[in-house]
Amino acid sequence: MKRKAVSLLLLLLPLAVAARAGAARGAVADPPRVASFELPTSTGTVALDGLRQKVVLVDFWASWCGPCRQSFPWLSAMSERYGASGLVVVAINLDKNRELAQAFLREFSPPFIVAFDPAGKTAEAFDVRAMPSSYLVSRTGRLVYAHAGFDRRDADAIETQIKEEISK
Amino acid sequence: MQLEPTEQTEPRESAEPASSSSALRERLSAAALALLLAPAAAMADSAATTQIDYTTLFYGEQGRTQVFEPIVRATRLFGDGQSISAQLGIDVITGSSPSGALPSGSVQTVTSPSGRDITVPAGQIPLTKFEDHRFGLDGEWQKPWGSFFTSTVGAHVSREKDYQSLGLNAKVSADLMQRMVTVTVGGGYNDDSVFPVGGTPIGLSDGSEVSKGANSKRVKSVLFGVSRVLTRRWILSVDGTRTFERGYLTEPYKVISLVSPFNGLPVGQLTDNRPSSRTRSSALLSSVYHLRNDIIYTSYRYYWDTWSVRSNTIDLKYRHDLREGWYFEPHVRYYRQGAASFYTIGLSTQLAPPEYATADYRLGRLTTLTIGADFGFRVGDNPSQWTLRAEYIRQKGDGLDPNADGVQSSFDPSPAINTVTAVIGYSFNF
Amino acid sequence: MKSSAKWLRLMIVFALPVLAGGCATVRPWDRDLLAEKRMRFIPNPMLHGIDEHIYFSKEASMGGQDVSGGGCGCN
Repeated sequence: MKRKAVSLLLLLLPLAVAARAGAARGAVADPPRVASFELPTSTGTVALDGLRQKVVLVDFWASWCGPCRQSFPWLSAMSERYGASGLVVVAINLDKNRELAQAFLREFSPPFIVAFDPAGKTAEAFDVRAMPSSYLVSRTGRLVYAHAGFDRRDADAIETQIKEEISK
Repeated sequence: MQLEPTEQTEPRESAEPASSSSALRERLSAAALALLLAPAAAMADSAATTQIDYTTLFYGEQGRTQVFEPIVRATRLFGDGQSISAQLGIDVITGSSPSGALPSGSVQTVTSPSGRDITVPAGQIPLTKFEDHRFGLDGEWQKPWGSFFTSTVGAHVSREKDYQSLGLNAKVSADLMQRMVTVTVGGGYNDDSVFPVGGTPIGLSDGSEVSKGANSKRVKSVLFGVSRVLTRRWILSVDGTRTFERGYLTEPYKVISLVSPFNGLPVGQLTDNRPSSRTRSSALLSSVYHLRNDIIYTSYRYYWDTWSVRSNTIDLKYRHDLREGWYFEPHVRYYRQGAASFYTIGLSTQLAPPEYATADYRLGRLTTLTIGADFGFRVGDNPSQWTLRAEYIRQKGDGLDPNADGVQSSFDPSPAINTVTAVIGYSFNF
Repeated sequence: MKSSAKWLRLMIVFALPVLAGGCATVRPWDRDLLAEKRMRFIPNPMLHGIDEHIYFSKEASMGGQDVSGGGCGCN
């Protein structure tokens, strides 16, 4: 019985360690500069460098990702609410098949910029750890906030960060 | 550029496949509209959906048991990843199953456990007629906890004429190593009772003496599983289960023939009697592989228990998708088991009966071969999913026993059982 | 109970090669195929439940990926 308990403990130990290792989200303490990207959109191209003086919310998504489906209405709301105050939402699609992305977009008709990166080069540069992931880039091109996954309970925290950045 | 966002993590919800039903679409656009009017965080459960699954099983053994089983299941999926489901199933069972008694060279009359006399034609194995209904209610609640854990809690109640089962089960899964590995630990407990029609016969007796009341059967089980993403197209899983059964594990309606060692003719019968404890173990290795468009499912299971039953199961499925919602999936399963230590085809009148004995063919050496296919389709533009399944199951025991006494060596105590099953399923979301 | 500890250790040993076996990670944006519903070990739990029920009533074995089996007087 004792041995069984020990074996079970050994089994659960890595789980506990893993759980501690991952706090959910947060502001980046010493904001690093974000390398620019230039990606195609349905109408032309978008370049991060071209959006200096704007606060940019960069979101990585794919049509097959369930939480992305939930994040889109929220991204739309952010874009409509803070667009006039200087927020630009750039949603980078990572689908390998563009047709799947288009079908998704027909469902949502998002009011923000959608860029396509089927090779995932930008995602690699941003070191995306989960789908979806969003990154808040300041007017000076620095990464100020990173969030992996989408959870409605965290949405408020990101919105607070957005408000803070656009007021700077 | 390599960012080092130290406080970043995996998502609370893993990426689930996107459903593209128009009902869901409607709900989502409604949700999007609501969003423009309400604060983001207040969208609460506007993303919740309900799925209804309905299936009916037709099960027919050639000349034996027939089962008709409609099942309905409702699942509520919430925006935060939680889900709750409830399932109701009714089995209507009619027909007959082998009593365990042996065939004889002439017409024989055997007494069923409920006291009826049954006339059995020469050379055929005696069957017991039965009729039953089973009601089963199942509930399940799944909840993600933080970014890495998911818990599942379930309960069930089922009731038959002579059997009742109450059960609870729970499991926890953890995603590790950047979601490359999932570890699952679980356990279950069933509190069952057996109350045979006409009372419980005393084991290895002529069956005339019975005890009234219910017999208890308690089942505890534990599960340990590890699944791993190997490549973009391949996942592998290893699962072990261990089940502890304690209590009344005998089949009250089964009998064992008493045969004359001189000519092998059945001269009487004794009731089935099994140990009151059984520990079962299983180890399952399963793989799912994504080809360019098709999927291959393979699994192998090794099973062993304290009654000395050992078995090997190989299962293969190949899914070919024609277009959204349309697929064809052939299926083959091969199963082979060894006999329980106390399995016997009959008992000799010359020898003292053993402590435990059964002639139930399901505890003998046997092979099961299943061949079938699933066909999924949709009707018109409706996103509701239809599924049809047809399977043929051939089960065969050991066959002629050259060491059997006298006339018994010329009878097959476990002739092949041919079964056809058909399932029709219908699912929709709203 | 002693045999249970043995069983648990056996399971851990059995699971090790699955846990080990290379450290290549499938990146989050490369999980399109893995995210498909048909890539689950049990894509249709209801049909799976029916199968378990049928084989439990016809054979002497049980066990797989679940702890909720049995619960009927069919065997």
